[in-house]
Amino acid sequence: MTLALPTTRDEDWRWSDLSALPALADAAANGGAVVPRWIGEGPRLLFVDGRYDEAASDPGPVTIGAIDAATDHPLGRLATGAGWTLSLDKDGFGGTIEIVHIAIGGANHVPARIMLAEDATASIVESYIGDGWANRLTRIDLARSARLMRAIRIDQASGFTSLRDEATLAGGASLVTTILGAGEGGTRIDAHIALDGSGAFAEHGGALLARDAQRHDAAIVVRHAAAEGTSRQLWRAVADDKATTSMAARVEVARDAQKTEGEQSLRGLMLKRTATVNLKPELEIFADDVKCAHGATVGELDKRALFYMESRGVTPDRAKALLTHAFIADALDRIGDAPAREAFLADADRWLEARA
Amino acid sequence: MSDVRNAEAQAAADRASTYEWGFTSDIEQDFAPKGLSEDTVRFISAKKNEPEWMLEWRLKAYRHWLTMTPPDWAKLNVPPIDYQDAYYYAEPRKKDGPASLDEVDPEILRVYEKLGIPIEEQKVLAGVEGARKVAVDAVFDSVSVATTFRAELERAGVIFRSISEAIREYPDLVKRWLGKVVPMRDNYFATLNCAVFSDGTFVYIPEGVRCPMELSTYFRINAENTGQFERTLIVADKGSHVSYLEGCTAPMRDENQLHAAVVELVALDDAEIKYSTVQNWYPGDAEGRGGIYNFVTKRALCQGKNSKVSWTQVETGSAITWKYPSCVLAGENSVGEFYSVAVTNNRQQADTGTKMIHLGKNTKSTIVSKGISAGRSDNTYRGLVRVAPTAEGARNFTQCDSLLLGSTCGAHTVPYIEVRNPSAQIEHEATTSKISDDQLFYAMSRGLDQEASVALIVNGFAKEVLQQLPMEFAVEAQKLLGISLEGSVG
Repeated sequence: MTLALPTTRDEDWRWSDLSALPALADAAANGGAVVPRWIGEGPRLLFVDGRYDEAASDPGPVTIGAIDAATDHPLGRLATGAGWTLSLDKDGFGGTIEIVHIAIGGANHVPARIMLAEDATASIVESYIGDGWANRLTRIDLARSARLMRAIRIDQASGFTSLRDEATLAGGASLVTTILGAGEGGTRIDAHIALDGSGAFAEHGGALLARDAQRHDAAIVVRHAAAEGTSRQLWRAVADDKATTSMAARVEVARDAQKTEGEQSLRGLMLKRTATVNLKPELEIFADDVKCAHGATVGELDKRALFYMESRGVTPDRAKALLTHAFIADALDRIGDAPAREAFLADADRWLEARA
Repeated sequence: MSDVRNAEAQAAADRASTYEWGFTSDIEQDFAPKGLSEDTVRFISAKKNEPEWMLEWRLKAYRHWLTMTPPDWAKLNVPPIDYQDAYYYAEPRKKDGPASLDEVDPEILRVYEKLGIPIEEQKVLAGVEGARKVAVDAVFDSVSVATTFRAELERAGVIFRSISEAIREYPDLVKRWLGKVVPMRDNYFATLNCAVFSDGTFVYIPEGVRCPMELSTYFRINAENTGQFERTLIVADKGSHVSYLEGCTAPMRDENQLHAAVVELVALDDAEIKYSTVQNWYPGDAEGRGGIYNFVTKRALCQGKNSKVSWTQVETGSAITWKYPSCVLAGENSVGEFYSVAVTNNRQQADTGTKMIHLGKNTKSTIVSKGISAGRSDNTYRGLVRVAPTAEGARNFTQCDSLLLGSTCGAHTVPYIEVRNPSAQIEHEATTSKISDDQLFYAMSRGLDQEASVALIVNGFAKEVLQQLPMEFAVEAQKLLGISLEGSVG
């Protein structure tokens, strides 16, 4: 397979390193057994190497089949064919649906479609584990006042996870996406969220933790096309060793999107001097009656706080882990499903404690 | 209510925003043959009586330029430029006359008088007692027509020359630094400038000298169909200090004219350079006809320890602005500053900002950018803060605020932050807002009319930057802000 991948000369990919993808795509599946870790007892779907595992799944309202979700996105467009669809109306299933993706080497591409009718609500928790290259395209359409909460944890032992979300929100709809990157593989997170109806709400953020030579890379666009929308992007980037964490977040406010409120908070934390953090909080504003603000900071842990904790008998590594936990916690607090939030925080702590 | 007021205010702004400096002057000029080729490059070099190494340097740049493509990453809509349809050299024809300043064509002197630029020394001296002196290098199209206060500056050891003269008189100094800060292959427009640059200013401040007066260059494009490609090089030796001002205007014409300048600053140990620009090129008319394309590469190298470079710019002119005055902070404890007010109205487009490259230990940078958009214009702040692994203890503070006047313009902020040292502290803040009805109501309830209220609020918005300007410029800049924007909010 020949892959036409963007290069760093392309402005939206300037901090990306996709050089490992062709080799990953050509690699044979290693067939290693990875056991899915389920959080709740509700409907669940298991995808192994991109194929739906019917025996291990209880799909609830989710259907499996071919999906037509055309996109121009260079990675997203690779995800064609069969995938999963969640289509709910107001009285549909209201609990949490869990999806686990196990990659067993090689490349797997799965498209997905989420359609919520007026006033419908849904909560989806996705986990990516194993190794190889997992590539996903998720098309989301929220009708008036529909609400979707998504929590995604990327926890592959190696390889690469690339996610592309394309969402449209009608008036009063709400989409909250929280992502935790705590695995050992590379990551590229792409999202385009369009607030097409007035009074829509979108929140997109999370925590990306990188160590060794890992690279996490997020490129998020939130487009306000209608009035009175609110969006928040809250990202925390942690880079240790020789890792690189990059976040480019953009808020676009169209001419008619008056009374928009946009907020971006991008913060980077470097745990070693060989690490790299790149941030790009971008605003593109065409309406005059808006409130948009962004803040970005990069730094290391507060030496005085570390010293204080050590003086109270906490070991240096433990102090580092605790302070880093505090740094990322507010990004993960947005996960609505309590057991999922606990599980995500536990994963983050496992990452932090690995060296403590 | 506010829509109606907006419309009225915009109309008032359109009436008020006349470009006062748009006259043309009938001056006999010599041109290079139209178009761009190796012959044009040779022609310019020969006109300037340049040494062989300079011609070789230009030709090398030209040949490389041919292999390059114009940058397209800025948020600008640049119509294709026909580089063969312009003159690359226009020189006012010399007339016989006595030596020195008086040699200058009185017609040209009148132009500068009309612009309010004192290039006759006695005029300055005849001014108010105690008034500060400003030495001026007046660049008219492709040549420097006069530099003032030369003798007085020379007594202090300061070299203040047009760059053409400097190439002939101080070849070693020029050779040592030219193209060191902005390499020949840096970018499309800088490379073009290397090939065809005509005139500009060279300043050298010797060790330990505090330049006794403000230095300034005033650029005037006069000829039709002519590009201006000036080149400025300022070297501040150890422990020296200089404040440099730059101003520019052009006639109103329906066609677009290209201005592609390169400015290089070098600050050695403990030296300080303050570089202020009031950019007032012709911005085009309300429909976007005409105006200057301003593609400028400005960069400072803080090579020495404790050196400091401060860029202050007030950008009100040009149809298109593509400009990122930058600092390479190589010396330990060196400091870079960037203060900018960019105003766009009508159909102007500005993509401007800065780059702060932290290489040395404990380097510090401050960025304060204020963008004001009105009419149907687009105003983008684009900035990069990069901290290299070697830049232990680097600090950056960035604040970029945008003010939107009216609902048909755009304000964009594109900050890049790349950090490779954990001891760095990087802070970035940005806000976008309009003048609130509350602010206006309050100011008007105190007896100010709407225009004055808006002026007050805009001036307050830009104050942090304006107060960085030297006195003489601050007054001009404030006036300029008023003219560009008068009443364009409601």
